[in-house]
Parts: sequence; structure tokens; C-alpha cells
Amino acid sequence: MKVFCVIPAYNEAQSIVAVINRVKPIVDELVVVDDHSSDRTLELAKSALIPVLHHIVNRGQGAALQTGNDYALLNGADIIVHFDADGQFLAEEIKDMVKPILDNQADIVFGSRFLGKKSNLPRFKKNVIMPLAKMFNKIFFGINLSDPQNGFRAMSAKVAQEIKIESDGMAHCNEILIAAHRNKYRIQEVPITVIYHEFGQKFSGGIRIIKDLIYKKLTK
Amino acid sequence: MFQQAFALLIIVFFLTRLVKQRQRNQITQNESIFWLIFWLLAALAIIFIKTIDQVVAALGFSGSGINFLLYVAIMILFYFIFKMRLKIVKIEKEITNITREAALKK
Repeated sequence: MKVFCVIPAYNEAQSIVAVINRVKPIVDELVVVDDHSSDRTLELAKSALIPVLHHIVNRGQGAALQTGNDYALLNGADIIVHFDADGQFLAEEIKDMVKPILDNQADIVFGSRFLGKKSNLPRFKKNVIMPLAKMFNKIFFGINLSDPQNGFRAMSAKVAQEIKIESDGMAHCNEILIAAHRNKYRIQEVPITVIYHEFGQKFSGGIRIIKDLIYKKLTK
Repeated sequence: MFQQAFALLIIVFFLTRLVKQRQRNQITQNESIFWLIFWLLAALAIIFIKTIDQVVAALGFSGSGINFLLYVAIMILFYFIFKMRLKIVKIEKEITNITREAALKK
């Protein structure tokens, strides 16, 4: 089974090389999708001698992930892992993420910061933003996962072929979750660790996600 | 009466501009027809403002005809903004597709 890691990167010059070096020995192949960074991300990623795709216009994380998925599928991926370029996930946990798919127990696996492992989540995020996001997903989409806004996920090639990420921005988390439920895939959550360097998604980001989801629905 | 004449003068000004723009090919035929109809309807609304007042009152609205027209205009504006926003979202989607194709081709 070929495990393929997709790393979308936007202005991650500080961490990209370290992330690539940590992920590279764990997966069979990886691809970095540079989303038109204004810093040296592209150049540094290329220096790591791995495939690097470049967006000629900045399109957002969701768009970069879909570009990475397309590339992985074209190159014979069996399992695709989405991994952040800012170094907040632990590369060694990729094994835990792909295991349920390798064991044929799941089609898609979501990482969760709330299932035991310690993550140094900012308090406001943990107690206000995350419960609101969870509630939103539960009420509007009937999705009851412990961490619906987590970008660390693994999916089988079949799932990646069937789910096309259309939300260019950060709404891809919800979009993939909704599609996974709608298509009745076998879903599993795996505890992961998140090391916070900065706050990440803010409250305004959450509002933007809801707005993106509404427009996506209207323009379908 | 003076206000009505003034408003009609403004419409005549915009109509002459419309004709000039069309002659210079700055706008398409469909666009010029749309604006021609728009300004002619506005002129009719001004000429028959008293009738509109009566119709609006008969419909049970408390405001005058001109107020009613303003509400309708705002509603139409909102609709156009919404339509425009949807169009922008579609264009953005196309930009993403082009960007993706270019990235995968290299």
C-alpha cells in the first residue's frame, strides 16, 4: 500500500524543511503544494528533493489539498495523508492515522486533539471556539465527532477519488466531514498531539468557514 | 412639479450618455437595452407618481409612492449584489481550476 502525504504550504519557510525531513522517512511518497507563498517556502521545499507543486495564484488551503490529492492519485497513491506544514503535527503519528485504513477498518480517519493525547490548545479555542464548531456540525449536519476542525486526516484512494474539495479556504474540514457522512464511509477518529505555535484559526475564521459553506451550496 | 421636472432632466442626461456610450461601442446592445428600459421606467414612475401614490395607498402601505419605489430599488440592488457575489464565487472556482491545472502540468 503506497502511503502518500500531501503537505499544503503557505509562507512556511521557517518550518517546511524540518516538516519534510520528519515526514519523508515515514511515508512512501510526499508532495508539497506551495500555495503561492511570498517567502522562501517554494525554494526551500524544492531543495529537499521532493516533488513540489506551485500554485501560480494563492488559492487557499482547501485548493492546495485538492491539488495534492489529484497529484497523489495520478501517482498511484493507495492512502493519502493530509499534514500541515507549520510543524504542529507529529510525523510519527502518521502511522497511527493510516493503521485503521491498512487494517481495512476505516475508509477515512480524522485526527482528534480531544481523545486523550495532550495538546496545548489555547484556552479560548478549547472552551469557546471548538465547542461552537462542534455544535454547528452537530445541529446542521448531524456530525458528532470530537474534533471536526482538525486538518490531520488520512483517506483511502477511493475516498479521495470521490470527494473533490471545492472549498478553497478553510471550510475543507467541514466539507470532507459532510461528504464522508453523506457517502457513508467508515469513519474513525484517532488521538493525535497538536503543538500550538500560534493561535491558528480565529473566531472570524469560523464565520468565514460558515459563509464559504453557504456560498458553496448556493453555487452548486 | 419642479422636482418632477428636475428628475426628468437627470434621466434625459443619463439617456444621452447611454446613446453616446452605445455609439462608441463602450457597452453591448443588451446592456444598452437594459438601461434604456430602466431609465424609461424611472421616467414613467416620475410622471405617474400620483397614480403610484394611489396604488400604494390602495395596497395598504402607509408611505408615499416615492418611498415605495425606494424600497423596491433597494430590494433590486440587494438582488444584484447577491447575483454578483455568486458570479464572483464561480469565477474564483474557475481560477482555482486553472491554477491547479498549471501546477499539475509542470
